[in-house]
This record gives sequence, C-alpha cells and structure tokens, in this order.
Amino acid sequence: MSKTLLEQAKEVVVKAQKFGAQGVRASLGRSRNSEVEWRDGKLDRLRESTSMSVGVTLYVDGRYSSNSSSDLRPEALDDFLKEAVAMTRVLAEDKHRKLPDPARFKDRFEGDLKVFDQAGAEAVTAVNRRQTAKDLEAAARSGPKADQIISVTSSCSDSVSESAKVTSNGMEGIRQSSTFVVFTETSVKDEGGRKPEGWYYAVTRRRDELPPVEKVGGEATRRAFMDVGAKPEKSGEYDCIIENRVAARLMGGLLGPLSGRSIQQKRSFLADKMGQDVLGKVLTITDDPFVVGGLGSRTYDGEGMSLKKMPVFEKGVLRTFYLDTYYASKLGKQPTTGGQSNLVFAGGDKDLEGLLKAMGKGILVTGFSGGNSNSATGDFSIGIRGQWIENGKIVRPVAEMNLAGNHLEFWKKLAELGNDPNLYSSWRTPSLRFEKIQFSGV
Amino acid sequence: MNRRDFLKVVGTGAAVVSVPALVSGCAQKMVKPDKVAGAHGTYFDQFGVDTGLIRRTLEKGLSRGGDFADVYLQHKIEHWVGMEDNEVNRAYSTIDLGAGIRVLKGDATGFAYCEDLTEEALLAAAETAAAVADAGFGGRPKPLAAVKVDNHYSVEVPWTDVGIDKKLPIIQRTNEKARGRDKRIIKVTIYLSDTTSRILVANSEGLLAEDDRPMALLVASCVAQDQGKIEVGYQTGSSRDGLGFFSNQLVDRVAHEAADYTTMLFDAVEAPVGELPVVLAPGVTGILLHEAMGHGFEADFNRKGISIYADRIGKKIAPDFVTIYDDGTNERLRGSINIDDEGTAGQKTPLVEKGILRSYMHDRISADHYKTKSTGSGRRQSFRYPPVPRMRNTYMINGPHKPEEIIKSVKKGLYAEVFSNGQVQIGAGDFTFFLKHGRMIEDGKLTKVVKDANLIGSGPKVLEAVEMVGDDMQMFSGGGMCGKDGQRVPVGFGLPTVKAGGMSIGGRRS
Repeated sequence: MSKTLLEQAKEVVVKAQKFGAQGVRASLGRSRNSEVEWRDGKLDRLRESTSMSVGVTLYVDGRYSSNSSSDLRPEALDDFLKEAVAMTRVLAEDKHRKLPDPARFKDRFEGDLKVFDQAGAEAVTAVNRRQTAKDLEAAARSGPKADQIISVTSSCSDSVSESAKVTSNGMEGIRQSSTFVVFTETSVKDEGGRKPEGWYYAVTRRRDELPPVEKVGGEATRRAFMDVGAKPEKSGEYDCIIENRVAARLMGGLLGPLSGRSIQQKRSFLADKMGQDVLGKVLTITDDPFVVGGLGSRTYDGEGMSLKKMPVFEKGVLRTFYLDTYYASKLGKQPTTGGQSNLVFAGGDKDLEGLLKAMGKGILVTGFSGGNSNSATGDFSIGIRGQWIENGKIVRPVAEMNLAGNHLEFWKKLAELGNDPNLYSSWRTPSLRFEKIQFSGV
Repeated sequence: MNRRDFLKVVGTGAAVVSVPALVSGCAQKMVKPDKVAGAHGTYFDQFGVDTGLIRRTLEKGLSRGGDFADVYLQHKIEHWVGMEDNEVNRAYSTIDLGAGIRVLKGDATGFAYCEDLTEEALLAAAETAAAVADAGFGGRPKPLAAVKVDNHYSVEVPWTDVGIDKKLPIIQRTNEKARGRDKRIIKVTIYLSDTTSRILVANSEGLLAEDDRPMALLVASCVAQDQGKIEVGYQTGSSRDGLGFFSNQLVDRVAHEAADYTTMLFDAVEAPVGELPVVLAPGVTGILLHEAMGHGFEADFNRKGISIYADRIGKKIAPDFVTIYDDGTNERLRGSINIDDEGTAGQKTPLVEKGILRSYMHDRISADHYKTKSTGSGRRQSFRYPPVPRMRNTYMINGPHKPEEIIKSVKKGLYAEVFSNGQVQIGAGDFTFFLKHGRMIEDGKLTKVVKDANLIGSGPKVLEAVEMVGDDMQMFSGGGMCGKDGQRVPVGFGLPTVKAGGMSIGGRRS
C-alpha cells in the first residue's frame, strides 16, 4: 500500500513541475479511524472513516505557496495543481523560500521506532471496541457512591495512518503509525446544581500498552468526586505542584516563543536569551524524536529534513531554537527543525506522593481553564482547579482561581521535577513542584 | 461547454487567479449553484451525485433498522493570502470534498464519511453508519423534496470567481494603514482568507436542502517597540460576505485598531488580583455570554444531565432586564446559517427572556429527547463530523441603563474592553475569559490601562449578579471561532455595556 502512496507522491511532483513549478514537495496521507462512544449503558456514537489527501508546497519563479486537497479525481488534481501554480506566480518573490539543502535529507535514523502496531490494529474489531467502552463504564461505576454518579461517557478508538513525502530535490520518505485510545468521563452530583466532571484517558502506539479499563474508568470517577465542593481559596502566594498530565498547557507559553517565526517577527521574549540561564537550574528538556513508541517519534520533519536529538534547555540554559528552512534563512542561521517531536524531561526522583510530602502545604493544580500567555513579554495568566494540600495530604478541592506570572521569573521558582512523565502525550511532562507562586482567588 | 469541461472547472478551486486564460466567463456563471435545489438538480449533480444516488445511500443507511438517516455533502474551497515584512509572499489553498452519512437509532448515532463521491464509496460509508442498528432489515426513505429558505448572506460574485490579484490591494492597504498609525510599530503581518462552502443535506424523511456559505476574514497583527519594550496586538474583521466586505472603511478600522491595541499597552499597568466589580464594554465582551451561559444552554449537555443548567427551563436565572438570543438569521454575521447542518431553517432562539430561561439550543437528537422542535442549532465543522448543538450569534439585547451611568456607578473596578479567548467547565459552571486589555475604573472614571489577565467566575452566579445593562448593544465584527467536541465552527456574539459582579481577576498587582 505504502509503495502506491510513494508512487503517487512522485507523480504529483512530476506533474507540478510540468505545470511550471521549479521546486515541489508533495505529501500524500491516508488514514483509517474507528471509534465507539458509550454512555450510560447504551451505545451513543459509532464513527468510522477512511480519508486521503494531498498536500503540495510549490516554489515557482522564486515564489511560494502551500496547497491541499481531498479531491483526488485525476482531472480535478491536474486543475488544482495548475491553479496553484498560477496563484503562486501572482505573489511577490521571496529569496528565503527554498527546499531544504539536500544534505539535510541524509543520515536518516534507521532503527525501529515501534510506532506502528500492525498486529494490534488488525486484531481490534467492532465488537472489541464496544466491549472495551462498556467495560470502561462498568469500571467507572464500580466504586463507592455510585448512586451519586449522574452520567458516564466512555470511548474506545483506534487509527492507522500512512504517509509518503517526496521533494523535487531528492527526498523520499514513507511512514506508518497507529494510535489506540481509551477515555472515560464521569459527572457526579454536588451542591447548588454543580456537576463536577472527572476524566482519564490513555493514548498509545501499541495496543498492548493501554492501561487496564479498571484504572481508566476508576480514575475518572475518583477525580470527579475529588472536585465535589470545590471553592476558591484566598488570594495569596502559595507553594504548588502542577500535575504531569496538565503541565504541557503551561509549557506551551515557553515553547511557542522558540519558533523561528516568533523570533524573526520579534514576538519572542526568548529571542535574545540563547546560551543564558532563563529557567533556573532545575529544568533540562531534550527534543528526542527517537523515543521507542513515542507519540511524537519520527525520523524526518514536515520539510523532509532528517531529525536528531537536540537539547532544548540544559539546567535552565536555552540551547535550541526551532528553525525551519525559511525562518533560519531570514535570520541568517542554520535550520534545526520547525517543531517539537517528543519532549523528554531529565531528572526527578519522586512520584507525586513524594512531591506532595516535600511541599507540605500548598495547591496541587490538576486542571487549567482558559488563560493565555503573551509571547513577546512572557506574561501569562491562567485559570486553575485542584486540591488544597496540608501535611502532604489532600484536604479540600479548589476551583475558580488564577495563576499569573512571567515565564522568566516563574520557572526560577521550580524546586524539583517528579519521576512521573506523562506517557500519553508527545510532551512527556512530569509533575512539577514550585515554591511561592501568586494565586488569585477570593 | 460540454459536461466534461464543466466538471473540470467546478471540481477544483476554480478562478484562484483572475487570469482570463484560465477561466472563461461562461464557467464563472455556471459555477454559481441555484439557491434552491429542485427542478434544475443540485450543486452536487456536477460531481455525479444526483438525487437517485442520494436516495440509494439513505436506503442503505436504513438497511439495518435505523430510525433515520441523513447525507451531508460538502465542497469547500478556502484561500489564504498573507503578508509579512511588507511583501505579499505566501498563499495557501485548500479544497475539501466529501460526504458524511449519519444513521440514528434512538439517541444513538452511527456516522461515517468518505472523501470520494462515487456510488461505491457512498454506499460503503452508509453501510458502516447503518451498523448503529442491528435489526437486519430497514425501511425506505421518503421521496426527496427541496426546501426553500431565506438567504441571509447572498453574494454577487462568489469567492471562487475572485482572483488573488483583487486581494493584494486590500492587504497592502491594511499594512500601510497599520504602519502609518504609529512610528513605534516595527512589524506588521496581515492575512486575508476567504471560504466558499457549498453543502447539501438530505434525509430519510424526504428533506433536501442546500446552502452556499461565503466567509471573509481579515487579520492584522502588530509588533511595537518603545524604549526596548515590545508589545503585540491584533484586530480582525469577518463576515459572511464577498469582496465587497473589505471596504476602505473596514480595512482602515481593522488596521488602526490593530495598531492602537498594540501601542496602548506601553502605558499599561499590571491588572489587579482578586474580586472586583467588572464593567464589560460593548461588543467582543459578548464572549462572556458564550462561555458563562451559552455552552451550558446547549441541549446535548442538558440531555445528558451534565450541564449546570439542566432542569432549569422556566426558572428565573437573571434579573428582569436580561434577555439573550442565539440567532442564525442576522444579515451577513459570522455565525449566521440559512439552514443548520441537519437542514433545519435558520432561526432566532430566545434563550433568556426577562431573566427567565426559555430554551436550550437543540439539534434533532436533543429535540426528539425533549419532545420539542429543533432550534436549527445542529452544526458541524465539516462533512467529517456528525452535527451537535452549537451556538450561532449569541447576544444580549439592550437594557434600561446608560453606559456613562454604569461606569459612574463603580467606585473601584475593572472596565473590560477586549477579550481574546475563554473556556467553561460545563458541569461545575465556572468559566474563564482572557482580557487583552481594559482600564481601571476609579471613582466612576476610566483611568489606567491594564492588560493580559484571566477573569474567572461561576456562570450562574455571574448571570444572577448582572446589576446593570446598557442601551448600546454592539455585535463583535471579528473572527470568532468556537471549539467543542473536537469541532470548530465560526460564531458571533454581542453585548451592550454590562455591569457584573462575582468575577475574580487574575492579575499580579495585589
């Protein structure tokens, strides 16, 4: 199958060249998705799809455009390419737009990243999916206080994708991957008509890596009950722990400004910080595209450049910008890659319980709501919910509070990392313990 | 022109460039679909999908005993042209073509889509969706009859006939106006995007409806520098309209506001921390309605019993002077829809009338559940998704107070002017929205600028605590987008000046 995709991608490149493009990058993608959603003892939604699309990046007389279509009828595809070439010709020239240097296509990683579980994908059936979704609900309802549960929604899904990429200057690549997902959300009764929700999910590359349904369903319900009676605390400066599975939300404000576009467009508070300690001594983050079974694992990037492991921060010192070929050229630098693969966090020797003990008193942040981060200044403000902790133990739930700060000051208050990376995300964030953080509440 | 040539033209993003050699005048006229399906066939006839094939697809959908089936065909063409560092040097185009097939059995949904409109692909997708039922036998769909509805956003020239050369001067003018506004502006990026989405909905009860949905969007973003400090800001303008939307007046306003919203931040102080009275300026602050109550009024959350507003129909939830609508019929507004994505005619739905909760927003499934009629709120991002109840344009109508008197009534508080985003916990009811900038109110007067703070509160409490409503309602004219259930749809919102309490401000100044 993949061979056909690669051949099709090659044909698209040849056609686009025939219609007048000098440089072409074509990507063909095909995927299959199946999902069963189960709610309160009944099938709620069944979804299936197979899809295929083509993406074409064109370099025409020093001009650039990027185009995609799901209409792959041969005559429609020809006209789509002709129109795209004609459209590109009307734009202004841009000398920084070019395909990557072919040297960057070499030395591609050749090991098995184990991101495609063909046997697992072939073994799963419509009946399996339904049974798993049912079992997730049963697990969610198996604990105490089941009569306080208003609703349980669970789902089981899987997908298989394959893609081929070809450039007119010599890059060719194909890849296949699979994902398996289980999810449960529980709503429970609370005072004043409130209905707190708890959720838990897992997403993996291999089917046999999914956690047991008891864990997923049980955890969703446990988390819903934990939020019963949540209220804001008084505004003030508190120690806090950010739970592993939500920490990525905060990291976004730190990683976004490392992009070439942010830097070249002067929208980055980190633009002039290369080589400086900006995060305090604790944080070491590596961009590792070769994590076995990693959700962000891959051997080449969107432009086709071969990937390698890169330090992003080393003990708080900024080491890498994410530069694609275009913005690297505009900045007069060598390209790295345009976006994150897997983010791996070093260090940490405590689990969440150990971190709670080390904190003693403060807030365990288990969820974020809304909020935003200013990429040019590093200022952020974001809603939180979680648990009030005393003597390392959960005392009562908190909600409707805000966490505000500036990334350049905030990360210096990071005391330690947990040893509990979130494996269900390509950003494998552990739980993070901070000291003296400003929260606003009542 | 023979049929094959015709196919070639409509099958692609025809007329991306106004180059006479590429597109003949004849083709330009013919790509315009009839507003109403019927005797002349439908827009999708040109892809080989006639009403006979649609009926066979519906029949296959019902073949395992489903109660209801519908087919959603879509052909969507999007263009995006951008300027950076004073050059219009990038463009993107996207063509989306496909069909979503849904089968209902009670409350349960079977859904499948295909991106290939051949008979084989359509019937295979219908068979997959049919599996939601398991009786092994099914009924027959009724004969299709075209529905006629009012058009709230007709355009003379569809975007598919507008060349990129017509868009360049608009982008260039926006850039010049933004840069010319203030010497401290050092970077400006502009983009203009247009969408043409042709859809057809047909169902087993015999409904056949078509819509042609245009969308225009202009975005200007600025970076300004002053004594080593950098600030960023932006403004958007959007409408279900054609090229005519981008008048000089609109372009100049978007450009000037993008520049002003950026440079005013140099004078800003940190936002305060904690609970203070909040006065919402008219317009974009309508995002408050969207987050604090709108999502809680979507009937799927109530049908499942998980919304904080479940079982509150007919109850008093706000003061007498609060009336809120969700409306798909506003002329050319971003959230307007002539029909929803289940084929129900666009309509204006009273959500709250004089403080009393009147209606949820329903799609077909929730309307059946509540034994009421759909409010025309079933929307989907594309043919790849089944419809769910969504907002359209959500707004509060004018109240009895004057804006000046509202501001004057506050001793110390926050005047919230521009918001960028928000979120809500459906069950717990707490919501947040992010203030890009506003002003402090001190002794009844607007004073220092404040910026970048998250506001948080409980939806029902904030509704109850609305103290005053002004007589100056404004609809937000920018590019609102709402995400739910993994689907994004364009929305509108509006608000008069409103004084509310019960919100905590997440600033850094204690």
